[in-house]
Amino acid sequence: MTLHPRESRYGRPEFLRRSAAGLVGLSSLSTLLAACGGSNNAEFTPPELKLASPDNPVTQPLFDDNPAIASGLDPENGTLRIYNWNGYLDPKIKKGFAKEYGVKVEETFFNTTDEAVQKISSGAIDYDVFFPTEDRVGRLILGKRLQPLNLDYVPNLKNVWPSFQDPWYDKGSRYTVPYMTWTTGIGYRADKIQKTPLDYANPYEIYWDEANRGKTYLLDDSRDAPAHMLLKNGITNINTEDPKDIALAKNELKSLIGAVNIKLSTDDYTNVPEGKAWVHQMWSGSAVSAQWYLPEGLGTDALGYWFPADGHGTIGSDMMAIPKNAKNPVLAHHFLNYLLDNKNGYSNFTNYVGYQPPLKSLDPDKLVSDGVVPPSLKTAIVRESDFDRGFAITELTPTGQADWLNAWAEFKAGV
Amino acid sequence: MSEPKRGVKADRAGDGFWAGLALPGVVWLCVFFLLPFYVVLCVALGSVDPILLTPRPEWNPLEWNTSAFEFVFDGLFTPGAAFETVFVRTFFYVAIATTLSLLIAYPVAYYVARYGGRWKGLLLMGLIAPFFISYLMRMLAWINLLQDDGWVNKVLIWLGILDAPHNWLDGRASSVILGLVYGYVPFMILPLYAFLDRIDRRLLEAARDLGASPFEAFRMVTLPLSMPAILAGIAIIALPMFGDYYTPDLLSGAPQTSLIGNQINLYIRGGQQEPVGAALVVALMLFLTVLMGYYLYATVRSQRRLGG
Repeated sequence: MTLHPRESRYGRPEFLRRSAAGLVGLSSLSTLLAACGGSNNAEFTPPELKLASPDNPVTQPLFDDNPAIASGLDPENGTLRIYNWNGYLDPKIKKGFAKEYGVKVEETFFNTTDEAVQKISSGAIDYDVFFPTEDRVGRLILGKRLQPLNLDYVPNLKNVWPSFQDPWYDKGSRYTVPYMTWTTGIGYRADKIQKTPLDYANPYEIYWDEANRGKTYLLDDSRDAPAHMLLKNGITNINTEDPKDIALAKNELKSLIGAVNIKLSTDDYTNVPEGKAWVHQMWSGSAVSAQWYLPEGLGTDALGYWFPADGHGTIGSDMMAIPKNAKNPVLAHHFLNYLLDNKNGYSNFTNYVGYQPPLKSLDPDKLVSDGVVPPSLKTAIVRESDFDRGFAITELTPTGQADWLNAWAEFKAGV
Repeated sequence: MSEPKRGVKADRAGDGFWAGLALPGVVWLCVFFLLPFYVVLCVALGSVDPILLTPRPEWNPLEWNTSAFEFVFDGLFTPGAAFETVFVRTFFYVAIATTLSLLIAYPVAYYVARYGGRWKGLLLMGLIAPFFISYLMRMLAWINLLQDDGWVNKVLIWLGILDAPHNWLDGRASSVILGLVYGYVPFMILPLYAFLDRIDRRLLEAARDLGASPFEAFRMVTLPLSMPAILAGIAIIALPMFGDYYTPDLLSGAPQTSLIGNQINLYIRGGQQEPVGAALVVALMLFLTVLMGYYLYATVRSQRRLGG
């Protein structure tokens, strides 16, 4: 059952009492107390998570004890604290915002989504802006770690692609606004390899090309890497939890160890231009930024990026949200709005990040002629229509999640 | 008869004072070792939050849930399973790297201690200086040295040993072991030097007087005397090597060279099964405790044999 008030079988007082008990039950301190007292919190049934996917859009629940801020408030003048991936926000944007609002902006970095979700989940830290992903945002909302947005402060949401104003993972943008979009394809060094992905009937076969032994990389990501193994075998449900599919992907991954000494990294944006990798499973945003890391004397023609021409590949997006215990929620709303500004979004993309924001004003066809994306990487440009045909990595059930992680751990053990 | 009594009393008072000196250490141990270890144990024996899937430590030993340990021990004792493979590999890498470190460190420490003369301090300083730079930076430097157009390949080609650049970073065990040796060897040199420097030269002179050849004198006097230092050096470098995960990450990045530390890192930081990661930590610690136990036993024994 869910604890959404309108769906509750109980009257309001009963609901409040129970949800309060639920909240207490969530915090680890009370776990300690409960454990010491020898009692348990069996009377509390956790609300069920609705697994969102493009075919199964979810309107995220609102909670009485987690309201959005009121409209018309003045932004706080404290320090805005951002929690983000490293290199995922142009320092100039931070400076610009700080200047415009007369505040300080402080950014803290995390390395993996898991690490970040753990810290946000602990509820012990009070960042003002956080960048969740599609496959993790549902649990953070259900656990009341994010606050609902008051979209009155975010008029620039109208600047993004219509489908992203009402995305499948958060219908009506109740808790999140979009930040960046990408595809996961195959990056390569056109000057080093004999056969590009296009030379194969099944382009994913390039990972097994022995000519690139020791120079072939997969993304060190327990969901992205197996997704390409599934797609190679024509399994387009990359969120499958079928043990047979998981075993298939695992065996494909394992066969790469013997075939090419497969290596794992998430530094795709430097590995390829620096020549450490000739073939690299790659995020499209990394492909665009790879051009900035080419050694002197090497032209952008040396880089290539393959993504299925029919659009049937891995695609994704991430978003911005405000943690529940943010100290400066009004300022945070203004920051979200600032990043969705057409000019700011464009300069953040083209000057620093390389990942593409879903802005309507950004014409994909002009990115090459404007010199943002080199012609050799034009397949790295993301279009709104790509999302109709691509496959998103979505939230799994805990069992599915554990099965995939164990398969990934087994592959990474090099058995 | 009253004097000895007073002496005993004074001693007792002194005991309290000297024992008090241990207090900061004991507090330190409790706060920064025992308590965190208990937390790790409670995470390993706890559950995950049903909504957020973050670890929910179980503080009450009566409610401990052993499923993570069952999963880990099952994997550790099944031949060919992931955990077993990685553990055996880690053991061999550490054993080889420790042996190589010893073979490098002993002659160096011996030379500095015996023949360093007035350059002793400078030599030691020179050996230690590169290690003021962080471990991570030194490994990154090795990447530059070992890459296709790096100096290692250039020198080997110039010498005619190689015809074409060799890909040292394509996921080979030798590169990882090289990294481990390079990273930890100074911690082997220091205890060895400290010990060898203190060996009474007159013992060696006595051995020579009694007819021992220089090699026999080394084998029968110096080597047994330095046994505690060798054991200490092995313990000092082998323990952190067992937990190392960034050396294989940086110098290989391939699954076939991953160590137990990589699996721990994967489960702790890369997913929603932290109890499994915590159980791996505890299992590794149990193994290392056995090694440490042997080290303590061996030191005591060798000291007793030397009449120390």
